[in-house]
Amino acid sequence: MIHVEDVCKLYTTRYNHVIALDSVNLHVDQGEFVIIHGPSGSGKTTLLLTISGMLRPTGGRVIIKQNDIYALPEKKRTSFRARHIGFVFQMFHLLPYLNSTENIMLAKGTGAKELQRSAIVQLMNRLHLSQRAYHKPSELSVGECQRIAMARALVSRPDILLADEPTGNLDLENAAQIIEYLKNFHSNSGTVIMATHGNIAQQYTDRIIHLKEGRIVPG
Amino acid sequence: MILQLVYKEILYRRLNFVLGTLAVTMAVALFVSFFTTSEASKNETIRLTRDMGFNLRIIPESTDMEKFWNAGFSDQTMPQEYIQRFTLYKDFSFAHLTATLRKKITWRGREVVLTGLGSEIEPSVRKKSPMSLTIKPGTIYVGFEIARVLNLKERDHVAILGKTFIIARILSESGSDDDITIYAWLQDVQNVLNIPGRINEIQALNCLCLTSFEQDPQNTLREQLAQVLPETRVIMNRTIALARERQRLMLEKYFAFIMPFIVLACAIWIGAIVMINIKERQQEIGLLRALGYSTGQISLLFLTKAISLGILGAVCGFIIGTAVSLIYGPEIFRITADTIKPGYHLLAWSLIAAPIFAAISASLPIMIAVTQDPALTLRRE
Repeated sequence: MIHVEDVCKLYTTRYNHVIALDSVNLHVDQGEFVIIHGPSGSGKTTLLLTISGMLRPTGGRVIIKQNDIYALPEKKRTSFRARHIGFVFQMFHLLPYLNSTENIMLAKGTGAKELQRSAIVQLMNRLHLSQRAYHKPSELSVGECQRIAMARALVSRPDILLADEPTGNLDLENAAQIIEYLKNFHSNSGTVIMATHGNIAQQYTDRIIHLKEGRIVPG
Repeated sequence: MILQLVYKEILYRRLNFVLGTLAVTMAVALFVSFFTTSEASKNETIRLTRDMGFNLRIIPESTDMEKFWNAGFSDQTMPQEYIQRFTLYKDFSFAHLTATLRKKITWRGREVVLTGLGSEIEPSVRKKSPMSLTIKPGTIYVGFEIARVLNLKERDHVAILGKTFIIARILSESGSDDDITIYAWLQDVQNVLNIPGRINEIQALNCLCLTSFEQDPQNTLREQLAQVLPETRVIMNRTIALARERQRLMLEKYFAFIMPFIVLACAIWIGAIVMINIKERQQEIGLLRALGYSTGQISLLFLTKAISLGILGAVCGFIIGTAVSLIYGPEIFRITADTIKPGYHLLAWSLIAAPIFAAISASLPIMIAVTQDPALTLRRE
């Protein structure tokens, strides 16, 4: 389903070059729950962003569902991402001027407005957010913000969920909740790739990939 | 969704929106106030230069110019009907056309200039306030110096060359030969001098539209006049004529010079504000792209905001520009204050031009923002 082929990513600054990903090869099947594990700066986020089609690699290819996503024109790639990939960011990235419902509705490809509303209501109930439907991000706890971000990633019913340190800013209780939601998504044949430097989700995963200095290394 | 996002973001970042609107408001207010007062400014210039005197004099061709310049008027006469011929010639632009008859006479032991003034003729249906004195039959206006020396007062009855006149007005001191002039109705002067139907000068305020200072208006005028009144010669007071034209050209040039700077400054201002807004919203742009919004949709988001800002700025600018013109205009243009009126067509123009202007100013920062990789903007903290 996801095929990462010899992917390299080089960041060039004014003073030096940083190799974030160095010839990464990876294959993830549909319905797999994969954890990318590694210390900070190992290239986990870069790999996730590259798989999501948001960060063009310096070399190599990313093939998702038989589509070489960086060979697609920008418009098609954006549309592909909206239809197939949900992304949960460590920093939530909620728009401060929209309430919880509006932030979730921001996701594209959620269907007709009525369908969208009922899906959002269901999701909010499932994520215990119904009491926070009209609250702005500044009025929510960190855990609630992450659940809103999770709801936004799930509302368009993607096949793949990419989560970048989704529990990084949460306490244990909230972190466990988030992992639970990821597990639920996975149990409904969703594919999950989660980047983390902790051990919180290891018991639920099919596979753990270790990343160090931009290379996949044995665990 | 786009409109909702724009509306909510405007409410959230009010200061940014207010500053952007202020830039457009300032530009529109300047345009509106300039155009609202431009008619008054033009008329005021005409009036001020007009008060310097007539700039065109048409005299009989047989005039001895040495005598003319010594006396200040021609010693020859021409038929009064010349003035009608002059008005019938359509290709000639003029204003405030007046027939005069002047003659130096000795009155009560003093040398005075007796001047008969005909009614002013205007070329079009446009009503203009007369430039010369409007004198009723049987009355005279007496120059300051004569009145002082002869101890004359208003409403005195005086006899000139056998005809009795009432002094309608004693003129204030002018510092010119007006101080030794007695003005009367043209026909009265023709009668007392016993030369009915004769005049010795046609005076006109000519409105030339010069395109450059190299062109000689006098030659053009002479060529034109030779076709209608071949028995006359034309003298132009170049100083006044050119002063009027230069003043008008100067105002036009000044406006053409200053406006691009104002427009450029406002465009930079709007561009900078949009840039600040975009910098502030970089993660938002990255997020929207991550969520599947196309660059076109994101551009539309910012353009809608810029256009909203342009529309609001146009309305505010029109109101402020018009209000400033109506309040302060009459203090600047005292004579032509009545011509300062709200120009509602300017509102329509502002509503078209300001949003386009705001959108163009915002385009470059938007283009820079939306072409960046979404991941790069999202990772920026």
